[in-house]
Amino acid sequence: MSTVASITVTAEIQRFDPSQDAEPRFESFEVSGLANMSVLDVVRSIYENQAGDLAFQFACRVGRCGTCAVRVNGRPVLACQERCKAQMRIEPLKPFPALRDLVVDRTEIESRLASFELAPLRNNAHPGQPELIAPDLAAKLCHMDSCLLCMVCVSACPAVEERPFDGPAFMLKLRHMAEHPADRRDRLDQALQGGMLECFNCDVCTQVCPADLSPAQAIRDFRRELFFGRGKEA
Amino acid sequence: MATASDIFLEHADVVVAGSGAAGMRAAIAAHDAGANVVLLAKGPRRANHTRMSGGRYNVVSGLNPADGNDAFFRDTIDSGVGINNHELTRILVDEALARAYDLEEYGLAWDRTEADKYYMSMTGGGTYVRTLGSIDEGIGITEVMLHQMHKRGIRICDFHMLTDVIRDGGGCVAGGLVIDLSKGVWRFFSAPTVIIATGGTSQLYETSSGPTINTGDGIAIALRAGAELVDVEFMQFIPISFVYPQGARGYTLTEPAHYGPRHFDPNAEAAQLLNVKGERFVLKHDPLRKEGSTRDVLARAIMLEILEGRGTPEGGVYMVPDPAVFDAFLRERPIYVKRLLENYGEPQARLQAPIQVMPSALYTLGGVRIDRWCRTCVPGLLAAGEAAGGVHGANRLGGSSMPDIQVFGRRAGMAAADDAKAARAPGDAGLEQARARVAELTAPMQRADGVRPTEVKRRVQKLMWDHVGLVRTANRLEESLRAFTDLRENVMPRLKVTNKSRVLNREWMESLELANLLDLAQVMAATSIERKETRGAFYRTDFPETDPDWTANLWVRRESGRVLVEKHAVAGSATPATAEAARVAAAS
Amino acid sequence: MSAATLPRNTTRQSEGLLHGDIARWLHRVSGTVIVVFVLVHVIAQAVLHVPALASVKAGAPWLPAVQSQHWIHAALYFSIVFHTLYGLKLLLSELGMRVDYRISLWAIVAISALFGLREVLRYAGV
Repeated sequence: MSTVASITVTAEIQRFDPSQDAEPRFESFEVSGLANMSVLDVVRSIYENQAGDLAFQFACRVGRCGTCAVRVNGRPVLACQERCKAQMRIEPLKPFPALRDLVVDRTEIESRLASFELAPLRNNAHPGQPELIAPDLAAKLCHMDSCLLCMVCVSACPAVEERPFDGPAFMLKLRHMAEHPADRRDRLDQALQGGMLECFNCDVCTQVCPADLSPAQAIRDFRRELFFGRGKEA
Repeated sequence: MATASDIFLEHADVVVAGSGAAGMRAAIAAHDAGANVVLLAKGPRRANHTRMSGGRYNVVSGLNPADGNDAFFRDTIDSGVGINNHELTRILVDEALARAYDLEEYGLAWDRTEADKYYMSMTGGGTYVRTLGSIDEGIGITEVMLHQMHKRGIRICDFHMLTDVIRDGGGCVAGGLVIDLSKGVWRFFSAPTVIIATGGTSQLYETSSGPTINTGDGIAIALRAGAELVDVEFMQFIPISFVYPQGARGYTLTEPAHYGPRHFDPNAEAAQLLNVKGERFVLKHDPLRKEGSTRDVLARAIMLEILEGRGTPEGGVYMVPDPAVFDAFLRERPIYVKRLLENYGEPQARLQAPIQVMPSALYTLGGVRIDRWCRTCVPGLLAAGEAAGGVHGANRLGGSSMPDIQVFGRRAGMAAADDAKAARAPGDAGLEQARARVAELTAPMQRADGVRPTEVKRRVQKLMWDHVGLVRTANRLEESLRAFTDLRENVMPRLKVTNKSRVLNREWMESLELANLLDLAQVMAATSIERKETRGAFYRTDFPETDPDWTANLWVRRESGRVLVEKHAVAGSATPATAEAARVAAAS
Repeated sequence: MSAATLPRNTTRQSEGLLHGDIARWLHRVSGTVIVVFVLVHVIAQAVLHVPALASVKAGAPWLPAVQSQHWIHAALYFSIVFHTLYGLKLLLSELGMRVDYRISLWAIVAISALFGLREVLRYAGV
């Protein structure tokens, strides 16, 4: 774009190969380009022109798959959505174990998700016609179902760091099922097992979420249910 | 100590390559039929094309009394300009509703206007309002299906790239050779059936709307394994996509923004498209439907404007949306409004200012040739989804990919489970072949000097975009075919990668992908040269008319290294479905 | 023309403050200040008024003056108000009230700062 300025980015990227390195180190690179480059654009440029052995993850590059999450200057973000900065320190998403460089191992995330059994536990089979769901509720369910499982919120959450808490994203997915009219499982109990009470109610997750969701609100909804009982038929 | 040719042997009944909805639906169906299933994802499981989809779902739900299965069938055949595999199209139409209910059972909440009435919209080329949607789009579809996979305990292997389907002495599938990039080890999944659900080839093009992983791997693997491909000369380009910033370039802007009021009312006007001089250039291509025309006509019109120098400096044209549609657009597509805001600005996000758009490679219309149960001509090899060809013909209706992947994903899974039950377990047949292949594939890591895959990929993408894209002509096609052959023979053997470790070696993965891309580039150019006409998404400047003689399909296969192209009658049509075909039949 | 709220622009997430971190830190610090104050206050009052501790009082002539430092009062009042209001916000939000995390934080900080400022002005003779 003719009116977009240029920028020279200095990026310090964490390099770490667990099979070879004792500990992570940082390598510094310079990239010049348009100022509206994303962090991912910068990383790809480094990979293509300077460090062909860099390991990093992306796929859709438009904020839909959620697989490119990294830390930029300490803050977890989606690399493809975050605008580049003139000075950047790029690290893998904590607290997940690194596979290599910027790619983390999601095995535990996936097994935790699987253990929550996030498919609606139904009493009866599908009626063979549109299920009765109020339009507003359908929209709300869809909104919660647009969670990317990118783990940006889990990475930013101070309670995950300090306490035995699975993390905001998991609570949001549990809430999604709790509000689904067809689900019969005790999601509040699952949330409590997952450390829901450890949440500080600080809304850091709400602020960092790239999908404009509020896991903290999902937790607050669970807490209200804890105080006042659930509205849904058991 | 493990060497490069050490392969871990694993066993399964059904190996599914691809973690999109087609692959997952196949895995679910195969599991439910009693098979031991393994699903392979090239990267993290959520990195797939379904995820990026707008999630619109064409189906005759009964909620529009004017609509019927025959109308949906006719719309699909008309959009495909008569060369669809009519049998597959009929199945798509007939089974779409049951699969929509399946998704609802999995937990997906279709948008509603009332508690029991789905929200429906129009799609370009459709006659009646019938398209369902949900605001979580492709994200919601992939999530609910992943949870069904978890519920069944189906094994999902992330960072497992299928490199080859190995056959036994009798030509039947013996298993799949896979590189586990997370650990840097080779695995041979000994299995009597493999389902290719690896998506399309959008990454062949410089500007595309798909994810970086859609390099047509499965289609090329099937070709190398002896399967036939069909309709590979047909590539669908979406007419409107983001022009900037770089990372968003080519990402679809979706129909509601463009079709505007026409999205809800078939008789309304779509958003106007203007070149840099302010002219409504589409009127010269489709004076009747104007900007409400089908995707292929619009994409071609925009591309020609840009090529002829009447595009913007950034390489696009202007779309002038109707601000009155904003509320509905925000409600239906909040994610797209967000992207408009972030990439372009607030006035554009509110549909109050012209939006720059350009065409982009979206969907692979052709692919592996399958029968009604997704079987290919290779025993044990099946394909479903974007990787398979024939369902949509020369041009796909927007919103038809979502039901396609559900309907045919399920059928592939059911058929594979059946085939696996009937087959003898392959044991370790094919392991020796796999070892030999491993040696070939690790060659780029052995070379000290050579060419890096990224540069070659760029070259291929530019050639495809310029010459085997929206606008094609004989001499350019032949030039490209020569270039692809040259790259295959002289440059590929010189590929080298920076990192010698196999763990998450992106460059090495790109070298493997590049071989698949080149295989497909070659057959796409070759079939394009053969088809001397214009039809649907396929446009030749030297043959700009549709030729009734070419109401046919081109099948491609490889035999002893040679590419064989054959013209075949359209499959599954006993009676002509379009008026044009009826004329041809009457004349013959 | 629609005035509907647009989704957020989340392309600059690594910039700016994390409101929740600030809120949490302030809540912890203010809580600590209150607890420490109570402890110190009890001990100080004991030293000043309990006859048995007269010798300690003699050895700490600076003690009475310390209690009237304006900044101690300012910090204390800020902490009490902030900790109470923010705690109320946490409680109400969990009982169902919809509260914007940014607006509520800055409003509570502002109100608490007012109380703190009031102490400073009081001790400055205003």
